[in-house]
Amino acid sequence: MDFSAFILQQMVNALFLGSIYALIALGYTMVYGIIELINFAHGELFTAGAFIGVIVLSGLQQIGWVETHFVLTLFIVFGLAMAYVAVLGVALEHVAYRPLRNASRLSALLSALGMSIFLSNGMMLSQGVSDRAYPQVFGLESIDFFGAMISHSQVFIILLAFVLMVGLQFFVHRTRLGKAMRATAQNRTIARMLGINIDQTIRITFMIGPALGAAAGVMVGLYYGAVRFDMGFIFMIKAFAAAILGGIGSIPGAVLGGLIIGGIEVAWAAFLPSAWKDVTTFTVLILVLYLKPSGLLGESEADLRV
Amino acid sequence: MKKLALLTLSLVLALGIGTAAGKELKIGTLSPLTGPYAQDGTDIKQGVITAVDAFSPVKGFDNVEVLPGDSACDGGKATMAANKLINSGVDVVVGAYCSSATEPAQIPLMDAGVVQITPGSTAERLTHKGYDHFFRMPPRDDVQAWSTVEFLTKKQGVKTIALIDDKQTYTAGLTENIRKFAEDNGNLEIVAHEHITPGDSDFTAVLTKLKRISPDVIYMAVYQPEGSKMIQQARKLDVDATFMTEDAVFHPKFLEVAGSAAEGVYLTFAKAPETPERKAFEEMYKKKWNVDSIGSYAYYAYDAAMVALKAAEKCGCTDAETLSKTIRGTTWEGVSGEIKFDEKGDRELAHIIWVVKDNQFVPYWDPITGKDL
Amino acid sequence: MLGQEIKKLVIYTIFLAIIILPMLGFTGGAEFQAERAFLVFGIGVALLVLNLIVKVIRSHRPPPDHDKPSLPERIGDRLHRIPKIFTLGPLLLAAGTFPLVANNYMIDVGITCLIYVCLGLGLNIVVGLCGLLDLGYIAFYAVGAYSYSLLNLTYGFSFWAALPIGVVLGMICGCIIGYPTLKMRGDYLAIVTLGFGEIIRLVLNNWDDLTAGPNGLFGMKRPPLYYPTIEDGGLDMVTYYLTSLPGLFYFILVIAILIIIGVNRLDKSRIGRAWIAIREDEVAAELSGVPTTWLKLLAYAMGAGFASVAGAFFAAKLSYVNPNFFLFMESCIVLSIVVLGGIGSIPGIIIAGFILIAVPEVFRELEAFRMLAFGAIMTTMMIIRPEGLIPASRKKREFHRQRDEAERGPQ
Repeated sequence: MDFSAFILQQMVNALFLGSIYALIALGYTMVYGIIELINFAHGELFTAGAFIGVIVLSGLQQIGWVETHFVLTLFIVFGLAMAYVAVLGVALEHVAYRPLRNASRLSALLSALGMSIFLSNGMMLSQGVSDRAYPQVFGLESIDFFGAMISHSQVFIILLAFVLMVGLQFFVHRTRLGKAMRATAQNRTIARMLGINIDQTIRITFMIGPALGAAAGVMVGLYYGAVRFDMGFIFMIKAFAAAILGGIGSIPGAVLGGLIIGGIEVAWAAFLPSAWKDVTTFTVLILVLYLKPSGLLGESEADLRV
Repeated sequence: MKKLALLTLSLVLALGIGTAAGKELKIGTLSPLTGPYAQDGTDIKQGVITAVDAFSPVKGFDNVEVLPGDSACDGGKATMAANKLINSGVDVVVGAYCSSATEPAQIPLMDAGVVQITPGSTAERLTHKGYDHFFRMPPRDDVQAWSTVEFLTKKQGVKTIALIDDKQTYTAGLTENIRKFAEDNGNLEIVAHEHITPGDSDFTAVLTKLKRISPDVIYMAVYQPEGSKMIQQARKLDVDATFMTEDAVFHPKFLEVAGSAAEGVYLTFAKAPETPERKAFEEMYKKKWNVDSIGSYAYYAYDAAMVALKAAEKCGCTDAETLSKTIRGTTWEGVSGEIKFDEKGDRELAHIIWVVKDNQFVPYWDPITGKDL
Repeated sequence: MLGQEIKKLVIYTIFLAIIILPMLGFTGGAEFQAERAFLVFGIGVALLVLNLIVKVIRSHRPPPDHDKPSLPERIGDRLHRIPKIFTLGPLLLAAGTFPLVANNYMIDVGITCLIYVCLGLGLNIVVGLCGLLDLGYIAFYAVGAYSYSLLNLTYGFSFWAALPIGVVLGMICGCIIGYPTLKMRGDYLAIVTLGFGEIIRLVLNNWDDLTAGPNGLFGMKRPPLYYPTIEDGGLDMVTYYLTSLPGLFYFILVIAILIIIGVNRLDKSRIGRAWIAIREDEVAAELSGVPTTWLKLLAYAMGAGFASVAGAFFAAKLSYVNPNFFLFMESCIVLSIVVLGGIGSIPGIIIAGFILIAVPEVFRELEAFRMLAFGAIMTTMMIIRPEGLIPASRKKREFHRQRDEAERGPQ
């Protein structure tokens, strides 16, 4: 393996990992943007999506649809997982966050933490403590791209992630609901005065953000081959770092942040002692917050305050 | 009247004897029932319960009670759980799993005079502290590392090896030992030593790095969840090396998750004789817990409980002193092979090399005899 | 009213069905495990119906009078009026006699509770008094534990000699973490402290030469006590190592009481009031001449110092430390103690420490269910009683003012 192929391969690795982080980070950034709450349970919503994905996929595999209707199968798997988690997200918002909308930050944060523990243990009790294997519908074959091996599942996942991100950007900037969402994020009181239904807007945010997380969960399952009840935590921390890095509240920022965090991780593991990989991620996060607290693409703090 | 008196007397006597002989044997388990290692912890608990079911009633004891404790792989919780078991009057504790829980739990258990048999902790120093009542079912880290190096140099004849571990007590100890044995051997060069984070899913960066170095063998000192994911990614990246790993990956879940990617992976695991007892245990376990496959620590836990029960039956005692002597002085036939403890409390048990073939673990090579299996 | 509620009930039931049935029904195999799924679903629906009934009954009653304090508050006020000697005396007596009547397991749980009470009180300075959200607090506990272990193992320092060094190291770490966060907003602060907490744990795990990495350190001496004796005619000091659990219990009890007194004094001092001023409105405090930068650093340092004391004791008690003892989850538990007890309330933290550590021990047999309940209770508490079990008097008023405003405010 020559050096250029090596670099190319590591770039593919980084792009893939970064896309997953970016999709999860979008959920954080949207929720934070609109109600200024770190949704600690987002990692669990992501895991729930992965579980629904494996349930549906195993079912469809049994009736033989994976062989006969491959594309439709994937469509159903992603669709159902995202729909389920959207419902879960709305329920979560209604039960745990809505009553605390005007309470102190700390109460809301702890409520989210409580829900995270609750959901994680609920999934452990219902789905078991061990890994659940994903049916390997894509196989192990890879495409040789100038010496870099790109597996079929990676191609599919990167493309799908890209489509979802572009779709979200379109939704937020071009549709009525998306505009209402941005207005609510900027100033809830004025948005209400302008006749925007705040409750509905928040509810929609809690459908879209977690649904994107669920898509990421199914992708993780499809590529890495297994899901487990506690896999959300590590993704949650990295994705949150990504969201902050890019500037919390900013959708392109979350995508950029995800790609950067993925890139840092891969680059560090590729060239430097891999044991210190996570230390680097957190150090970068702290440095960014210290030097540019609003993140790379975020609005400056002064604007947010006013 | 006389008859009635006699009857009453005999009844009283029977009851009296009954209560006098009412000896109870209490076996505690100490394993992570919550947290990321809950699967292995549950296997251990279930293995012990299966053994108690299989060997009850134990002669000389009216009742055998199992008291499960949750060590949660955490020092503080493990000592609390150990103290709880001590207070409930346990005679034998089977546990713990993580060395980081076994180590602190050892102190109160040994002080209280309880026999402890660990089904999972392999750190060498646990048996090197001079405790008389501490036993270990699985082979130590250094035994496993020796078998691995022996296999790679003698059987495979490879020259270079890359190590991956996830920086936990067990895995780091193992790679350290491999490094030691490889240096002593002189024919095996360690070309890379990488670390991953436990709980991570993506290992492509590290695997690509190793692909470029292209060692003959990549040794994965990780647990089953990471191992299953790592081997799939390695196949997708088309890494052209032999993959070898250890007993923490030797779990049916590895075959289930990794599927065809697992083909050709070598593992070290204790010899598993195809005895009728083993078959009977497997059947019983699967039926009792309604599972399709058995976790590897269930075998050790079953054997640990079996040794405790049979030793107690043999000596008719529960005090740690005599019980330990009985355990040490006898050779037991277990489902994980012959069980004979040396004075430190370690088993004279070696690993053999297994290979994954047609999605099955198949015995491959014996490092002691140097012969194929 | 009733019609609306029933409509809500139907919607909730549909939601519940969608959420529960697939997740609980399809486990492992492909067949639907109806029994389990519908059992849990049934419990959920029953709870919803119960909630509806309670609501209907409530709606027939006159609306609660907001100015009249509720029953728990009245009880709380009564308790406040009892002279302290009548509450503290029996409490101290109970704590003092506890090891004499309890078995080793209960004492061990008691020790753990007291360790967490110490941690909670330390974190209370940062979160409760100064209002800085800290999600990586357990790192200072680790610093204390490791500095004692290393000083004891490498240089043979006794507990008493190592303790001040550990505390100073902890305070320095507190300042290092505190300094870059001084100008940050609340939530960013939380993430930075989370990151720092993880970094310290990873450094402990990776720095093999110093900390033995994941192997951990073992064989530390227990805390010694010295007392003089007259032997062979001369005055001699005898070293006595606290090896028994009751001895360790009394030891940590004394530490906890000292910390309680210390925190209580701080709370009522000028510094304490300045911290509260920062918590309430930093800009206003700054304008009033409160040196906010220094006081925030001081809060971090003090909090870290208390955690170091607890950590050193933990290492000495266990005689073993491992980086995995200091996971993020531990920080969450300490934070929950502070918040559930009532932010800024010392008696609340003590009670919450015992509830969060001892009650799950009682339910150990239920294993995973206890964490499930823990999560649910945490959220429920935040919704129905955000001021904590025993609210600090200042904080209670604030919470209820916010709540009332929210209820009356425009919707």
